[in-house]
Amino acid sequence: MEPEKILEKALLEGRKNLTEHESKQLLAAYGLPVAREVLTQSLEQALSAAALLGYPLAAKACGSKIAHKSEKSLVRLHLQDDAALEKAFQELANSPDAEGVLISPMIAGNRELVLGLVRDSQFGPCVMAGLGGVLTEVINDTAFRMAPVNEGEALDMLDELNGKAILGPFRGQAGADKSALAACLVALGRIGMEQEAVKEIDVNPVILGPEGSITAVDALVVLQARKVKP
Amino acid sequence: MINDIRLSPLYPMVNPQSIAFLGASNNFSAMGSTIFSSLRKAGFPGRLYPVHPKEKVVQGIAAFEKVEDLPETPDLAVFVLPTRLVCETLEACGVKGIRHVIIVTAGFREVGGAGLELEKQLVETAKKWGIRFLGPNCIGVTNPHKLLNTTFMRSEGSAGFIGLASQSGSFVTQMFNYLDRFKVGFSTAFSVGNSADVDIVDCLEYLGACPHTKVIALYVEGLVRGRLFVETAKRISIKKPIVALYVGGSETGRKAGFSHTGTMAGPDRLYDGIFRQAGVVRARSVTELFDFARALGSLPFAAGRRVAIQTHSGGPGAAAADACGRTGLEVPPLLPKTIEKLSAFVPHTGSIANPVDITYSKNPMDFFSQIPSALLEDENADMLLVYYLVPLAMVLRPIMSMGLDEETAAAHATRWLDEQAASLADLMGRHNKPIAGFTFRSITEHFPQALMSRGIPVFQGPEKAVRALWACYEYARLKSRLLA
Repeated sequence: MEPEKILEKALLEGRKNLTEHESKQLLAAYGLPVAREVLTQSLEQALSAAALLGYPLAAKACGSKIAHKSEKSLVRLHLQDDAALEKAFQELANSPDAEGVLISPMIAGNRELVLGLVRDSQFGPCVMAGLGGVLTEVINDTAFRMAPVNEGEALDMLDELNGKAILGPFRGQAGADKSALAACLVALGRIGMEQEAVKEIDVNPVILGPEGSITAVDALVVLQARKVKP
Repeated sequence: MINDIRLSPLYPMVNPQSIAFLGASNNFSAMGSTIFSSLRKAGFPGRLYPVHPKEKVVQGIAAFEKVEDLPETPDLAVFVLPTRLVCETLEACGVKGIRHVIIVTAGFREVGGAGLELEKQLVETAKKWGIRFLGPNCIGVTNPHKLLNTTFMRSEGSAGFIGLASQSGSFVTQMFNYLDRFKVGFSTAFSVGNSADVDIVDCLEYLGACPHTKVIALYVEGLVRGRLFVETAKRISIKKPIVALYVGGSETGRKAGFSHTGTMAGPDRLYDGIFRQAGVVRARSVTELFDFARALGSLPFAAGRRVAIQTHSGGPGAAAADACGRTGLEVPPLLPKTIEKLSAFVPHTGSIANPVDITYSKNPMDFFSQIPSALLEDENADMLLVYYLVPLAMVLRPIMSMGLDEETAAAHATRWLDEQAASLADLMGRHNKPIAGFTFRSITEHFPQALMSRGIPVFQGPEKAVRALWACYEYARLKSRLLA
């Protein structure tokens, strides 16, 4: 779907953010590598999604009022077969505010990054990169640039991280595809420049695979109703 | 971007031919009188017009009752008035045709409440007449090259190459004496106060075009026109270095800054990134801001991060090497040809490695010519760091032992030290690599002064010297990235 249509629909419904699924559709439209996923409304749909994607799978409750999924136990990981999926689906579909269940393959990799976009009152849209995962706030290792950013600036952001060694070859795993990461940051900057309705984006985690590939497995796009001064 | 400084909208404010002064009297304890007196003592060569409702003569200069009575339209008006009189006086200046004003008076946005409204009125009045003003709540501008100083502190030292834009007036006034100690000075320094009109971005644009300014220093509590700042700084930093201290990134600094100038601050890591993106080298403290400014204003650019260290004592050498490692600079091995060259000058007690520790000099001249020359020729070294321990008394002793009286010996000794300083400065020029010195002795001794007045900065202790060399490397790195 076109980014404008996704945003327009959510704004018309008076929502403050996109669902996880919509957020990823928006990011994918700007070229970010997001995990393959299927939004399902019934167990039948979930099982056929599983047949398409193959186990192991992750299942997550999806809805416009759902944030902080892991804190609310709305995520089921490492599902190995139909029985596990069925149990997970029933639990998640019946959780408050669930509008559907997202089924996606488990993405391999234990290195996690966070990418994002914020709007600062003085600098306008700014892109962010950092070490991610659940410890993002604790580690607090982030780099910012004012959007738009070019590839050189994006690469310099990665170089600014104290924990940048994690992007190199690491314990038998390949170094990160830095040009792909830089392209994500450039794209986030473009969203900031082009989409007034987007207030913030949090892509966390972005999983760094053993071969250096990058995949966004969760994302949240926060909206703002009216135009604000950059 | 302005290429001719005279086209800058701030030019008449920084280079006025005539100044109307509002708020000076013959009561010498008043702030306005102190500032007027310091303006006169700086030797301002232009015409001065004190305006005072009662006094006919202020500090020996004929005064005028009202702005409208002035015999000409002055280039600049300086206000040190009670807050309630500022708006109406600005209006009178507008009528008179005055287009540049410095408003020292405080009691506006920074106090909140009615101050906010008052500042809004000020901006509206200025807009109506096309007036550009600095402040309010500032101490104005100093341009030692034109003998202009609107601050209350008497200017010390000579005109220099550091252009400053500061959200604090103290980093203008307190630095006259501080910078003089290091044989550097301001080209022009702005105290922007509340930045109701002229802000740091305007000053940056001015200093970027100012021919006397070789390096720009910024003291920032919070930037308002953030996006324009980045664009402006990007354009300027590829031509001349910009260094900045930002204090709004900590919770404590943010709160203090807000009550000081009423400026909103942003997260520390955001400013880290913004500065880096704009080619601005970020300093960590006030003293480091000026350490970086004097290094970047006088040293050639560093082609890389490799430092050769020259010392005659093991401890300072090791401490300097440690500081390099912690700062992200390298201390590479010397090339075989360098080791060969040095073997002629280093006694058997010394160590020909990096750091080069000569322990004592076979010939004292070698320390200032042959040895640094060999190190600067080494393709593995991008910069040279030298530990100096040359008190005048140490040079004096052997000269006096030759039978000369103290006065003659002192003249010989200072001349000798000057020659060594000149020799090092000459080497730096020929090799086009930065040299920095460090000492634990007083920076005001003859030898460090001789070095600094020839453009080789000397620092107290290795850590400051190493950080300054890092700034040279970092600037070169940021600049090449912007030009890529």
